[in-house]
Amino acid sequence: MAGLRLSKITIALLLLLLIVCHVGPSMAVLFNQLPKTLIVTATTKSGDVLHAGEDKFTVTWALNTSLPSGADANYKTVKVLLCYAPISQHDRKWRKSNNDLKKDKTCQFTVVKQDYSATGKHEYTVARDIPTASYFVRAYALDASDTKVAFGQTTDANKTVNIFEVVGITGRTTGIFVSAIVFSAFSGLALAFFYVVENKKKK
Amino acid sequence: MAKKSLEVEVEDEGDAAQFKMPVDSDHKATEFWLFSFAKPHMRAFHLSWFSFFCCFVSSFAAPPLLPVIRDNLSLTTTDIGNAGIASVSGAVFARLAMGAACDLVGPRLASASLILITTPAVYCSSLIDSATGFLLVRFFTGFSLATFVSTQFWMSSMFSPPKVGLANGVAGGWGNMGGGATQLIMPLVYELIKKIGSTNFIAWRIAFFIPGVMQTCSAIAVLMFGQDMPDGNYNKLHKAGEKHKDNFSEVFKHAVTNYRGWILALTYGYCFGVELTIDNIIAQYFYDRFGVNISKAGTIAASFGLANIVSRPGGGLFSDYLSKFFGMRGRLWGLWVVQTLGGIFCVILGRTNSLAGSIVVLLLFSLFCQAACGLTFGVVPFVSRRSLGLISGMGGGGGNVGAVLTQLIFFHNSKYSTEDGIFYMGIMILVCTLPIALIHFPQWGGMLCGPKPGYTPEDYYQSEWSHHEQQKGYHTASLRFAENSVREGGRSARGSGHSKHTVPVETSLTDV
Repeated sequence: MAGLRLSKITIALLLLLLIVCHVGPSMAVLFNQLPKTLIVTATTKSGDVLHAGEDKFTVTWALNTSLPSGADANYKTVKVLLCYAPISQHDRKWRKSNNDLKKDKTCQFTVVKQDYSATGKHEYTVARDIPTASYFVRAYALDASDTKVAFGQTTDANKTVNIFEVVGITGRTTGIFVSAIVFSAFSGLALAFFYVVENKKKK
Repeated sequence: MAKKSLEVEVEDEGDAAQFKMPVDSDHKATEFWLFSFAKPHMRAFHLSWFSFFCCFVSSFAAPPLLPVIRDNLSLTTTDIGNAGIASVSGAVFARLAMGAACDLVGPRLASASLILITTPAVYCSSLIDSATGFLLVRFFTGFSLATFVSTQFWMSSMFSPPKVGLANGVAGGWGNMGGGATQLIMPLVYELIKKIGSTNFIAWRIAFFIPGVMQTCSAIAVLMFGQDMPDGNYNKLHKAGEKHKDNFSEVFKHAVTNYRGWILALTYGYCFGVELTIDNIIAQYFYDRFGVNISKAGTIAASFGLANIVSRPGGGLFSDYLSKFFGMRGRLWGLWVVQTLGGIFCVILGRTNSLAGSIVVLLLFSLFCQAACGLTFGVVPFVSRRSLGLISGMGGGGGNVGAVLTQLIFFHNSKYSTEDGIFYMGIMILVCTLPIALIHFPQWGGMLCGPKPGYTPEDYYQSEWSHHEQQKGYHTASLRFAENSVREGGRSARGSGHSKHTVPVETSLTDV
């Protein structure tokens, strides 16, 4: 009798465990449920144009002081990212914003990732692989399991203010330019050469 | 008549002795030795498939690198869609022109010229910096896909009817494989260059030199080692009076008035055209929908194109096999069944939601889609002898039109999600494959009806020449072809003791 009750309890616990384990990891982090607890500012002004590989800006983040103490108890790391402004997301499905942060493609470039402190700043040189587009800066606070728990950004909810531009490198080096011309000319000359030979054969 | 045939027999046996391979009365090879470079038949095979392969590598070099290129050039989905359409639309007319050029100057000069003229577009792909530039280089590079027509023409000139399906299938398939190989090659080269120390936006540009150099070298090889026909190059044959230099307007007339050429052009658009579309969209599809990285997406995309190594030749082989028992009617039925199955798998692919499932369905889809391409060109060589080049060009061009249409309707803008686009494309394949039932050869029959009694292959191929031209003997090549294609009537049409090394004497004696 007792044994049967025990096994029933075990099964129930196992089922509960199964449900929890199934739900837990796959529970999506939704952007609209993230608290905006960080205040993020950057030295870039609206309409600034930065050149990849050359220009820098400084980003500063701080916990909103009007929050009750202990609000940042589980913040372990801060991750600051460069994010696409809506105008650069238009007609580009691979940069689409999604409320489910696992599927969200708005922020694709990491500016800095470091241990959390109530305030912080970082000077960032725009990396050479940042493409030409319009951007804003967003910072996520991550907990010990690297899950996003809070955020802050330099722009408003509609992502219209404080948008700056980056001009990426073209990638066209002089070496590539010269090589392309030389190889193309060679192909043309090879064709001309064989035509001359063919015509000579005809005669 | 018998005496004349005997004279021909002696002459042919003497000429035939100069070839390493067994040949028919036309000096076309009656066997296919894949691993040989025997002059001139197998050598022509290897030159033509490899140069065509290089053109495919160049034409589809951009898609696997799109995740980098689209950021460097700030491309939108519409820009990418337009360039994809441009990449296959240039070849629509280039294939027709190539068909005519093969009929007039021979496949060796025609293909090598086109390849060398388009290589600058490949090299200049490394210099583009806007959506317009991207569209233009893809457009001009895509012209090189017209070399498909020259490979099919060249194989049809070098291989006898019982082997022409296989030769066409392997040459076409191994060339098409370039569309798959490039999805592996380009990401590999790109990652390598990045590792050496380049930034991403420089690395992809350098990577484009690989397909460019491959293309240049293959064209030079064709010019140096290739030969148009078993007996020599066109200009030599024209000079010796052995080959009559045909008249373009007659060749054109006999091609465009043959309805079978038009139907095959349409249906080829829904096997080969679909294959081109998939080459353009599939890497991005796996990258964006299933979140795999560039190299993984490239590998999956590559598996589609690489299946060509066996699938298209398999289609050609299957076509020849069906012809052995059922003649031309077998070839047509095989084509319809295989292409319809391809359509069914395409429909399923659009509705598969898992990564593993999608890969499996993609492979099945590629096998049937590409086999259908091989089966199509098991039929094309028989549609016309006089205008073989132009008919091949029409079929090939039709393939590209199919690619333009499917990309325009389903993958050009954000109207359909990519998976819905694939689903609807599958439905379109099923519908556009039905016209095969309308093809009828009076001498051999069609899918639904048998042959016209008493109508011979000679009647069919001779009808392409006027009485005046026949009197001058211009049609002798067509007559030889007709004799060698007797087997297309199926088992019942074959005489007894029909040897592999066909010489006209035997068949005419037994037939009488």
